[in-house]
Amino acid sequence: MPTLLQKLFSKRAVGNDNGNARDCSTAAEQCWASSEFDLAQIRLIVYQDCERRGRQVLFDSKAIHKLDASEPTADETKTPPNRSGACHIGSQASEKDKPPTYQYTRPASDVNMLGEMMFGSVSMSYKGSTLKIHHIRSPPQLMVSKVFSTRFGSSTSGSTNTLQDSFESMSQTFPSHTSSIAHSNPVDMPSRGHSEDGDSGIARSASLSSLLATPLPSPGSSFSSGCASSYQRRWLRSQATSLQHGPMPRWNTEEMFSLSDESCSSNPAMIRRKKIAISIIISLPEREEENHNFQEFFFSHFPLFESHMNKLKTAIERAMIVCRRIAESSQRVQVYLCRVMEALGEFRMTVWNLYMAPRISEPVWLSMISQSTERNLLCQRFLKEMSLLMDHGAKSQFLSALLTAVLTHHLAWVPTVMPSSLPPIKTACQKPASHTVDLLAKSHPYNPLWAQLGDLYGALGSPVRVCRTVVVGRRRELVQRVLYILSYFIRCSDLQEHVQPQGQMENPDNPTNPCSSQTTDPTPEKTFPPKPDPLKPTACVIEKALNPESVPGTFVEQNNDTLLTDTKSTNPSSSLESSTVRPECTEMGQECFGEDGDSVGGGLEHILANQSPLLHRVQFHIGSPRETENEGQAGGLSRAGCGRGLDRKLHQRLLTDIRRNESSDSALGDSDDEETSLQELYMATEQKEYELPLPSYQVESRASVNHFGRSLLGGYCPQYMPDFALHGISSDLGLKQCLMSDLEHTVLHPALDEPVAEALCIVADTDRLSVQVVTSQRRVCEGGRLGRDVMVSNLVYTLITSVLQLYALNIASDFCVMHLEDRLQELYFKSRSLAEYLRGQTRVHVKELGLALGIESSDIPLLAAVASTHSPYVAQILL
Amino acid sequence: MNALVALCHFCELHGPRTLFCTEAVHPPSPSPPQPGSAIPGDRDREADREGEGLTMRANSSATQRADMCEGCRSLPASHPGFVSVDSETGIRYLSHQHPRQPQLFSVVRQACVRSLSCEVCPGREGPIFFGDEQHGFVFSHTFFIKDSLARGFQRWYSIVVVAMDRIYLINSWPFLLRHLRQTIQSLQDTALKVFDNEQCVCPQRAVRMNSAFSPAVFPHQRSGNAARSLTSLTQHPNLWASLHSSFSWLLKACGSRLTEKLLEGAPTEDTLVLIERQTEQEEERSGWDGAEGGGSNPQPSQSESVQPKDFQFDDGRQEDLLGPKFKSLRHLRQVLGANDFRQLAWHVLMGNQVIWRGADPGLIQSAFNVLKALLPVGCVRAVLYSPHYEEAYRCNFLALTHVSSSEFSMLVDVLNVERGCVNPVSDDDILSLYHEFFLNVSFSWFVFLSGPTLLNKIEVALSNENLSVEVVSLCLLCLKEEWMNKVKVLFKFSKVDGRGKEDTQKVLALLGATGPGEEDNVRLLKFWMTGLSKLYKSHLMTAVRGGERTLSQ
Repeated sequence: MPTLLQKLFSKRAVGNDNGNARDCSTAAEQCWASSEFDLAQIRLIVYQDCERRGRQVLFDSKAIHKLDASEPTADETKTPPNRSGACHIGSQASEKDKPPTYQYTRPASDVNMLGEMMFGSVSMSYKGSTLKIHHIRSPPQLMVSKVFSTRFGSSTSGSTNTLQDSFESMSQTFPSHTSSIAHSNPVDMPSRGHSEDGDSGIARSASLSSLLATPLPSPGSSFSSGCASSYQRRWLRSQATSLQHGPMPRWNTEEMFSLSDESCSSNPAMIRRKKIAISIIISLPEREEENHNFQEFFFSHFPLFESHMNKLKTAIERAMIVCRRIAESSQRVQVYLCRVMEALGEFRMTVWNLYMAPRISEPVWLSMISQSTERNLLCQRFLKEMSLLMDHGAKSQFLSALLTAVLTHHLAWVPTVMPSSLPPIKTACQKPASHTVDLLAKSHPYNPLWAQLGDLYGALGSPVRVCRTVVVGRRRELVQRVLYILSYFIRCSDLQEHVQPQGQMENPDNPTNPCSSQTTDPTPEKTFPPKPDPLKPTACVIEKALNPESVPGTFVEQNNDTLLTDTKSTNPSSSLESSTVRPECTEMGQECFGEDGDSVGGGLEHILANQSPLLHRVQFHIGSPRETENEGQAGGLSRAGCGRGLDRKLHQRLLTDIRRNESSDSALGDSDDEETSLQELYMATEQKEYELPLPSYQVESRASVNHFGRSLLGGYCPQYMPDFALHGISSDLGLKQCLMSDLEHTVLHPALDEPVAEALCIVADTDRLSVQVVTSQRRVCEGGRLGRDVMVSNLVYTLITSVLQLYALNIASDFCVMHLEDRLQELYFKSRSLAEYLRGQTRVHVKELGLALGIESSDIPLLAAVASTHSPYVAQILL
Repeated sequence: MNALVALCHFCELHGPRTLFCTEAVHPPSPSPPQPGSAIPGDRDREADREGEGLTMRANSSATQRADMCEGCRSLPASHPGFVSVDSETGIRYLSHQHPRQPQLFSVVRQACVRSLSCEVCPGREGPIFFGDEQHGFVFSHTFFIKDSLARGFQRWYSIVVVAMDRIYLINSWPFLLRHLRQTIQSLQDTALKVFDNEQCVCPQRAVRMNSAFSPAVFPHQRSGNAARSLTSLTQHPNLWASLHSSFSWLLKACGSRLTEKLLEGAPTEDTLVLIERQTEQEEERSGWDGAEGGGSNPQPSQSESVQPKDFQFDDGRQEDLLGPKFKSLRHLRQVLGANDFRQLAWHVLMGNQVIWRGADPGLIQSAFNVLKALLPVGCVRAVLYSPHYEEAYRCNFLALTHVSSSEFSMLVDVLNVERGCVNPVSDDDILSLYHEFFLNVSFSWFVFLSGPTLLNKIEVALSNENLSVEVVSLCLLCLKEEWMNKVKVLFKFSKVDGRGKEDTQKVLALLGATGPGEEDNVRLLKFWMTGLSKLYKSHLMTAVRGGERTLSQ
C-alpha cells in the first residue's frame, strides 16, 4: 500500500521523516524549485519620504545583525530554515524566549539608489498605495515596493518621540545609543487630502465598484447554460478590469500606512506629506534556468506574495506604533527591530514554504481532465484510496463529515456537474468543456489564473467566502490518502499555456519584430521598387488608382498573397493554431486591402474592386494635409446638425478628465501643453483607419506548470501553509497559533483581489477523526477548540456509501466515478429546488423540506451553499 | 488582453510624449448574464460608440506645430491611423498617436510621464511595473535609440502596457518582457545601422568638437536637431504600420497566452434523447424519399411523422387550441381526484399504455403534456389524434378520437366537453366540467398498496399546497434524475455486465429500491431503462471493453 501512495506523492517527501529541511526542499524539486532557496535572498527595506526631512531608511535587513551571544550566527538569515523549529517564528513562542538583541549598522551603499526607485524622482501626490516592481540587473534582483501615504491619529500629533528621531540619533551615535535624542515636534501640514478626493474619481465609481463586487442574480431558472455561475464570475471580472471603462478604483484604494492606533475615520485626520515605502528585494538565483523558474513562479503567484507583503506591512505598522510608546530610545529601537525582524522572519518562511513545500504531484481531478487516457487507472486508484479511508473512519463518519465540509465550502465542483445543454463532442458522458466560457475568454479576456484561484478557494458563492482545508495527523500515509481523495473534490479549471515554439522568437518574421525587413537593409529605397510612403497614403493611393502603369508587377502578386493569407487567418477554426502567416505589414502596410470584395475583372478594375477601403479613404485625402484639414472642417459643418451635440458632450468629458488629472497629479504638470490643446485635438471626422491584417503565428500549446491548480494543492508539509487550498501537517500546534490571524488577514487582504465576506478553514484531524470548520467570523469556541464540528449531510453520506458499495460489487471504477458525478449532480438539482422553495418563503419548514424535497436539516448548509452559487438570494433568506 | 500598448518618447524639447498607441476595442459582450445587469460602465461604452468617428489629431495651427516637433509625432495629422480586426473574436486593434477613447487619454499620458520622468530604473533601460487604482497599472520598458544628431547620441523611449487588471499584468511580466525586448532590440539594431551609416558619412563627434561653441547658435542648432522622428532614426518608412502589427499581436497573444479548460456537467439523459430524436428526424427528413420498408406501419405514417415533433418540441401549439386545459400535474390531480390521479400516474410510471378518449384534442394534449413530465423524455411515446387504436409497444400515450377498441390498460374517457367553446374556460370551469366526466377504468389487477417510492414522493409534493408549481416541477426533476441514476446503475449491472440475480438484489438494495413497493420500483426501473439515450448505452458497452483491457494489463 505505501508504494502506491509513494508514487502519488513526491518520493522524497514520503521518505523524509526526520523533518530535515534539506530533504524537504529537494522533495519540491518536481514542482518549481530547482535549487535551495536561501532565506537571506529576501531583504526588507522600509523607507520614508518626508517633505520636510527628505528620505530616510527606517529599516534595512541587510544592516541588521543579531547580537545575541547564545546564537553564534550573527546573521540568522544565513542558517537554512529548520523545519521542525519553524513554528518558533510565531509570536507566542518568541515571547517566551528572551528576545534577541539586534545591532543596526549603517545601511548598505545601494539604499540611496533603491530609495530613488521606490519613490521615483518626482513625488506623486496620489494618496492611495502605489505598487512597483523593479528588476535590477546586477546583481540580479527583483524589488517589489508598496508606497503608502501615512495617516496619523490625533494622539500622536502631540507625541515627541518619533522613530525616525531614534534612527537618526542611532545611526549617528551608534554603537552607543546612550545619548539623548533630539526631540522634535512634527508640524502638521494643512490637509490636502480630503477635499482632493471629491473629484478624483473615487466617489464617482464607488457605486460601480461595489455593484461589481456583489454578484448579480443568476439567470432565472433556465438550465440552458451549464456554467452559468462560472461564466458570470468571469464576465464580471472582465468588465470590472476593463480598460474601456477607464480607470475605476475598486475596493481597496484607500490603503494607507497607519501611524496611530486610532482609526482615521473617527477623528479628523492629519495627513502629512509623508510617504512610507516597504520594499522586498529578492536576490535571483545566478543560474539562468533557476532564475527563469523562480521568476515564472514569482510572477504567476504574485497575488500570494502581495498578500504576505500586506501582512508584513501591518506588522511594521504595529511595530512603529508600539515602539513609539517606549520612552527610552535604545529600548525603543530594540523593540522596533525585534518586531520587524520577527515579521520579516515569518514572511521569509512563508515565501520559502510557498516555493519549496511538497505538492500532490498527481491531483486526481486535474489529472483526470488533462490525461483522459489514464482515466481508468486514476479511477481505480481513487476509489481504492477512498474505500480504505472509509473503512478507517467508519465509526466516526470521518469521510462523510470531511466531504460534507469540503463540498459545502470548496464550491468549484458545482459548475462541473451543472448539466450542459450541448451534445458531447467526443465520447459520450465525458464532461464537455464549457463553450460559453471559452468564447468569453477570447472576446473579453480575463485572467485565467485569477479564475483558478477563486475556484480553488471555493469563492463561487454569494456572499464570497474563501476556504482552505488542512489535514492534520501524525500518520503520514493516512494524511496523504486524505489529501489524495480531496484532490478530486477540490476542483479548478486546468490551464494551458500557448507560447511561441523554440526558435520562433528568433525568426525575423516574428510579429514582435517591427523592423524585420529593415534589419538587413536600412535603406530600402535603393533596393526595393518604389514603395509608397506610409506617411503619405493619399498620394500613393491616388497614384495607384489613376496610374495603372505605375503599379509594379510584383505589387499585384504580393497583394494576392496578402489576400490569401488574410482569408486563412479569418477562418475561425484555425485561429491561433493556423499556420504561420508572414507579417505583411512591413513591406505592404498600406497595401493590404482588407476583405476581398467582388472582383469585377482583371487589371486595374480588379485592383480597384479589391481596395474599396482605400478608395473610400481617397475621398477624404485629396491634396496637402492642410487642405485635408479644411475639407474635414467643411465636412464637419455640413454634418453640424448631428455632430455638434456629440462634440459638446465630448468636450465636457475631456475637460473633466483634464481637471481631474490636474488636481490629482500636479507634480506631473510640467508638460501639460499636450493636454491643454486636447479639446482642439478632438475633432469629429469620419476617417477610417487603414486596415492591416492581424499577424498570426504558430503557437505551441502546453500544460501550464505555474498555475495554482498545481501549486496550491500541497502534500504532507512539515509546517502549516497559509496559502495552500489543501495540504497536510503533522500537528495542529502551529495551526492553533496563527490560524485565526491568518483568516482575519485573508478577509482584510484577500489574495483573490476581490472583497471577501468570510474566510474559512476546514481542519480534518486524522488522529482524532474529527472535522472542524474555523471561520474568521467567530472568534470564541468553547473548550479551546479551533472551530465547530461539522454535521454530516445525509445526502453526502448516502452518496459515498452507494459509490463505495458499487465499487465493492466490482463494478468498473470508471463507472463508479461516473455515478459519483451523477450523484453530485443530484445535489445540484436539489439545491435548485431548495432555492426555488426559498424564493417564496419567509420561514423554512424543515419538516416540509424533508417530506417534499427529501432535504434533511443536515443537508441544508450544504445545499444552501450550493444554491448560493446560482441563486444569490438564498444566503439572505437563510441568514 | 484588456490593455493598451503605447510607445513614448522623452523629447529633448517637449519632455515626455506619447507617440503611438494601440488599443483593443472589445465587442459588446457575447451574452451578458442578464438584461438587467448592464453595468453603469456600459453607458460609457455607448458614448464611445457614438463617437466612433472621432479621431485624435494634431491641430495644424501654428502654435501646435511649435509644441509638436517631428520627434514627438508618429502619424501626421491627416493620417487616420491603423486598424486590425480579429475576425474570430471581433476585437478591433486601433492605433493612433493618442488613444481614441477620451477617458484613456489621461491614463496613457500619466503612464508616459511616469515611465519617462518619474520612475527610476537602474541603468535607465529596463522593465518596471508601477501603478495604482486611480491611474491604472503600467508595465514599462525604457530604452535608448541611437541618433547621431542627438545629445549624447541617443534618444530615450519607452513602451508602456497599461491595464486595469493589476494581477493579470503582473502575471504577464515574463511574457511581456520577452516580447517587448525583442521589439526594442529590433528598433535599436535598425537605428544603430542608420547611426553607423550616418557616422561614416559625417562623424558628428568631430563636427561637434570642431565647431566653436557659440551661445547664440547653440539653441537654434539643438532645436533643429531635436526634430528627428523615429521613422527617420530607423529609416523605416512603414515603421508605424509595423509597430501597429507588433502591438496588436502582443495584445492578442498576451490575452490568449493562458487558456482555461473548464468542464461542465455531462448533459442529462433527457437532453441527450432530445438531441438524438432531433438528429433522427433531420436524417429522416433528408432521406424521406429513400426506400422505407413501410410494411409494418402502413397507415399510421401520418400520425407518427407528426406527433413526436409536435409533442416533444412544440408545446406552444396547444395555445392555439381553445377550450379547457390542464395546467399542471397538481391541476390534473385536483380535477381527477387523488385516487384516480394515483391510478393514472401509476400506469404512466410503469409504462402501461394510457389512452385518453374524447372529442377535445386540446384538453387531451394538455393532459399528456403534464403527464409526460412524470417520465424521462426517452420513455415518452405518444400518438395524438389517432382515429384507431395503436399497439402498446408503439405508444404509451394515445389519444383516440373515436371509441373503437377494447384492448387497453388504462382508459380515460372525456365526456361532455363542448367543442369549439369560444371563450376560454377558467380553472373552476374545468373542475365543474369534470363532474360530468366519466372515468372508465378497466384493468384486471388494480392492486397497489405501497406503490413505487417515486410515486409516493410525487404525491407528497403535489398535495402540499405550500409548494409552488415551480417548486413541484423542480422537485419532480430531482426525483426523476435520482431514479434515472438508479436506472443507469441497473442497466450497467444487468444488461452490460450481465450479473446474476443475487448480485442484482444487492444493487437494488443499495439503490434504495427494495423494501415496500419493491416490485413496483423494479418494474419502474426496467421500464425507464428503455428511456436511456443510445449514446449512453453504447458508451457503457464500449467502456466495458476498454475497462477489460485495462484490467487484463
